[in-house]
Amino acid sequence: MISIDKSAMSTNQIDLNNLSQEDTALEIRNLDLKYGDKQALFDVSMKIPEKQVTAFIGPSGCGKSTLLRCINRMNDLVEKCHISGEILLNGQNIYDKKVDVAALRRNVGMVFQRPNPFPKSIYENVVYGLRLQGVNNRRDLDDAAERSLRGAAIWDEVKDRLHDNAFGLSGGQQQRLVIARAIAIEPEVLLLDEPTSALDPISTLTIEELITELKSKYTVVIVTHNMQQAARVSDQTAFMYMGELVEYADTNTIFTTPRKRKTEDYITGRYG
Amino acid sequence: MENMNLSKHISGQFNAELDDIRNRVLAMGGLVERQLEQSLDALGALDADLAQRVIDGDRMVNDMEVAIDEECTRIIAKRQPAASDLRLVLAISKTITDLERIGDACAKIAKAALDKRSKNQQPLLVSIENMGRHATRLLHDTLDALARMDAEKALQLHKEDVKIDKEYEGIIRQLMTYMMADPRSIPEVLDVLWAARAVERVGDRCQNICEYIIYYVKGKDVRHVSYEEMEKDLKF
Repeated sequence: MISIDKSAMSTNQIDLNNLSQEDTALEIRNLDLKYGDKQALFDVSMKIPEKQVTAFIGPSGCGKSTLLRCINRMNDLVEKCHISGEILLNGQNIYDKKVDVAALRRNVGMVFQRPNPFPKSIYENVVYGLRLQGVNNRRDLDDAAERSLRGAAIWDEVKDRLHDNAFGLSGGQQQRLVIARAIAIEPEVLLLDEPTSALDPISTLTIEELITELKSKYTVVIVTHNMQQAARVSDQTAFMYMGELVEYADTNTIFTTPRKRKTEDYITGRYG
Repeated sequence: MENMNLSKHISGQFNAELDDIRNRVLAMGGLVERQLEQSLDALGALDADLAQRVIDGDRMVNDMEVAIDEECTRIIAKRQPAASDLRLVLAISKTITDLERIGDACAKIAKAALDKRSKNQQPLLVSIENMGRHATRLLHDTLDALARMDAEKALQLHKEDVKIDKEYEGIIRQLMTYMMADPRSIPEVLDVLWAARAVERVGDRCQNICEYIIYYVKGKDVRHVSYEEMEKDLKF
């Protein structure tokens, strides 16, 4: 009689409630956020595992992008934005007064909905962050450019025209270039805010393929409006509704047997 | 699962498609139930005409299986159902396979009724008929649970199959005695045995359908699981 280990069959399922310190990349603790009088996040607590893809889904205005932007303190730039609670990156609260925001953002890269390359050459786009850090050695920059462009699965398409303007690339290529720029400075965490919503279906699939490759090196957090995309690329899915974290579990569970009625209704496309 | 009384989809068309496969699987269940009843009637009365009608009717059951399966495939391709919708489509796709097999069993029973040799074995056929009536009731109740998507009822019915299995064992013992007493009767007794086996399988198929109902409602796969675990999982 052959016995089959059921746990081995389900894909890298982890217990989110009992995630060990080493496996946790980010821990969000009782996060509240207000834009002026309007509260956008209510007591959000979750642990985001290291080197996995975690997706935030939910209807427009549910707070998923707001939550994502909290992770590299993008909301600091918003006026009258008040945040309480903690976000721990490697055990250190990123909202601590001692934290250098520029250093934090080097560690937590971000890619936006619309590709936003700089009006420079492809090469200069990728090494921009390194130059800011004071790296000027030609060889180091060349190595970093090739490594990052390969990492973003765009090297073969641009290797013969590295010094052409980045605006000459297609939307999908530009988005991968922006990802290459983000990983050139080797962050620990990569935040993707609807990275494919401005792209065609084939470019979308290329980026999705890239995301699954990226997780071998980086912790990826992605916000997406496309539920099927969350189902395809993520290991964990968090469903948010009206600023609250409704359900957070491994993606297989969320898409086959969600526990909460609200999640069920959203996943299946029903009136809430 | 907090509550299975789900509200409507934003897409009305999707709603209509899910309702449609649900209705069609129930219609198919109704047809199979009638087939089973009639095959047993034919067996009891050795009514060759009725038996032939059952055998012909099996084609309709097969056609329904194919049509519903196509619709399930279409829904998966076009709508990418998730959560309870996905479970519904999967449960239906599996249910129709079992219903089709029950349809095959009916045809087998009807064939036994057509067989000239069976005339000599009428007393034996009566005991099959009794077991058959139990199987019919089980099928009827299972389809009822399917229509209501009643997981509690499904678990209860799942246990009913044991009774049919017991009756089947009884018939086998009886048939063996016949065969030992009169070896020349073996070919005829074997025909009866195949029919008995067909009826017994109906019970097993009903059990499968009950498992799909529980899967749809509770999201738990209860195949190959003991009753203790099942009840613990489902917490009725």
